[in-house]
Amino acid sequence: MTHFEEELKHLKHEMNIMFALVHTQLSKAKDAFIRMDKDLAREIIQTEKRVNAQELNIDRDCESYFALYNPVAVDLRYLLAVLKINSNLERTGDIAEGIARFLVVIEQEFDEDLLQSSKVLKMFEESISIMEEIEAAFENEDTIKARSIFKQDEIINKINREANERIAEYIRLKPDNVEQALYILSTIRKLERVGDQAKNIAEEIIFYVEAKVLKHSKKV
Amino acid sequence: MKLSTKKKIYQGIAFNLFRLMSGILVVVLISILSFIVVRGIGVISWDFITKMPEDGMTKGGIYPAIIGTLCLVAGSMLFAFPVGVLSGIYIHEFVKDNWFKRFVKLMTNNLAGVPSIVFGLFGMSLFVNTLGFGDSIIAGSLTLGLLALPVIIRTTEESLKSIDNVFREGSYALGATKIQTIRRVVLPLAMPNIITGFILSIGRVSGETAPILFTVAAYFLPKLPSSIFDQVMALPYHLYVLSTSGTDMEASRNMAYGTALVLIIIVLLLNLIANFTRSYLSKKVKH
Amino acid sequence: MIEAKNLNLFYGTFQALNDISMKVPEKSVTALIGPSGCGKSTFLRTFNRMNDLIPGVKIEGEVIVDDMNVYEKGVDVDNLRKRVGMVFQKPNPFAKSIFENVAYGLRVNGVNDEKLIKQTVEESLKQAALWDEVKDNLKKSAYAISGGQQQRLCIARALAVEPTVLLMDEPASALDPISTSKIEELIHELKKKYTILIVTHNMQQAARVSDHTAFFYMGSLVEFDETKTIFTHPVKQQTQNYVTGRFG
Repeated sequence: MTHFEEELKHLKHEMNIMFALVHTQLSKAKDAFIRMDKDLAREIIQTEKRVNAQELNIDRDCESYFALYNPVAVDLRYLLAVLKINSNLERTGDIAEGIARFLVVIEQEFDEDLLQSSKVLKMFEESISIMEEIEAAFENEDTIKARSIFKQDEIINKINREANERIAEYIRLKPDNVEQALYILSTIRKLERVGDQAKNIAEEIIFYVEAKVLKHSKKV
Repeated sequence: MKLSTKKKIYQGIAFNLFRLMSGILVVVLISILSFIVVRGIGVISWDFITKMPEDGMTKGGIYPAIIGTLCLVAGSMLFAFPVGVLSGIYIHEFVKDNWFKRFVKLMTNNLAGVPSIVFGLFGMSLFVNTLGFGDSIIAGSLTLGLLALPVIIRTTEESLKSIDNVFREGSYALGATKIQTIRRVVLPLAMPNIITGFILSIGRVSGETAPILFTVAAYFLPKLPSSIFDQVMALPYHLYVLSTSGTDMEASRNMAYGTALVLIIIVLLLNLIANFTRSYLSKKVKH
Repeated sequence: MIEAKNLNLFYGTFQALNDISMKVPEKSVTALIGPSGCGKSTFLRTFNRMNDLIPGVKIEGEVIVDDMNVYEKGVDVDNLRKRVGMVFQKPNPFAKSIFENVAYGLRVNGVNDEKLIKQTVEESLKQAALWDEVKDNLKKSAYAISGGQQQRLCIARALAVEPTVLLMDEPASALDPISTSKIEELIHELKKKYTILIVTHNMQQAARVSDHTAFFYMGSLVEFDETKTIFTHPVKQQTQNYVTGRFG
């Protein structure tokens, strides 16, 4: 193994840490949401600092690899992909933090009917699952799995699209609960963006492994 | 004993051995030179180098021998230098590497090792008798030239070999022919080294006695040559005559040392001139 | 237009080039890369028949320069070499003045008009971006200038005989970084007028100066494509391994 390969292995390890961090943030957000656990929500907000620090850490590594090793071909694509995946993950971390900030300020428990009809819990599960999938795809350079992300993202998009109508219906039924209904809608919106980030990461994985650019194109 | 100390002692012994050897060499050289200088300096005078020998070579000068030696050096080089350099060029640049080339190279090397008296006999039979030149400057020069030829051929070859091929390729790449390449690019670079070979052969030629013994040298001839078909006296032979078969050995003893000194000085001067030419040429090439 | 068609080359029984077909784009820079002994230099030297100088070389196939197979019988090799200039790895100026070095190609090709020679020497030195540095010292020996300047002198020397193709065999490998970047800039300028083929061991250099890159391995042309493609997403695994330094 060349010296540079060892550095790249080290970088992959750092990326795995980043994936695990963001993944955990999202899981904790779900737990905090279900249990209305404000302490856990505060913990998420604290941990976000670690996520940001890790993002900077990986950025710095990439910068020095570009400067010192003149990467080309697969190495170049890998580093470019890592840079973008890194920032995608950081934004995913932001989403988890955003949800946590809601939970800290919210006053009452959510209405069970609202949780049921909006499918927000299903949305949580799907977005955590898509994170798991994309993490595995990155770990194994598995472009088949990366491609499956696009389908999974469509499920998330579908829930998101339906959410408008369901929330509107709920507000018509219980106009008093309009505030928490809007919280839920906003949470669904945020989780939808987790799917988008995962989709971007999937594109980057396919780019670096197969040298194919799928961005802004009809997906394969 | 520590290894490092052992190594140091070993190194010390080796270095001192080298010093001793080179010291012996210097001592021998200086004693020969000073022996000749001390004995010979007494007879050296303007008359000694410009007068004819007199009184059975016990008095007078060695002027004709000096002129004779200069004539022979010039004549032999006039013959050997062009022939040797051209042969060297031909062998190195034109002949393909095959058994013939190896054979010629082997013969050239052998020729360099042949005793000079053999050259003398060969010169006598070919130039003096067969070609009918008689005992003459031309016969002696050609014989000496043959003697110098192997050295000049070898050094020409070696100096051509030392010219990096990139220069030849650079010339060919511009559309130059082989002859143009050799004449305009390779030879100017090789010339300083070829001149070195030339210097070595001058040194050898001017001191040789055997080859001129039967081809040109006169025992006693108190006049200057008027053509290349004349006999001449020559310093090495004159020295030999003075020290072994003079009319009065005791009387001519000092004359012999003087002659030896003059011969050494002439060789030294020729070397200096050639060396100067070489460094001038190589400066022209390198800077 | 220069091109190789089904080119095979043997040194005795050793096959150094194996069925190579490649069209070299005109007025652009094509880099030949590959590990030592892969045949890239040998391939370069088929275009001006420099391999002829090595005993025991046998060539099959065609090498086309200016619509003519250079290995056809009766081709004037000296004339071919005038049209296909070459720059070598080590700067190899001749033991002559700067002026005479550049004039050499003209003189050996029978140009006698001193005025024309003077004019061509000046133009060539200007093209090689050396004129301003040596114009006051044209009479000085070519060995008096720096290695980088000597290499540009060799380029000027090649340009003086007005070739259409310029072959460069690792032209900057013996130079310091500043001289190297000057040579690279020069190559970038020269490609406007000449078709340039360059052999280099420095992959970054190939990436910087060339428009197309050919990767050779064990006497075969493995991949030939735009330089951008070779260095971002080469098709062949061997190419990828080589450009990323994971060879062997």
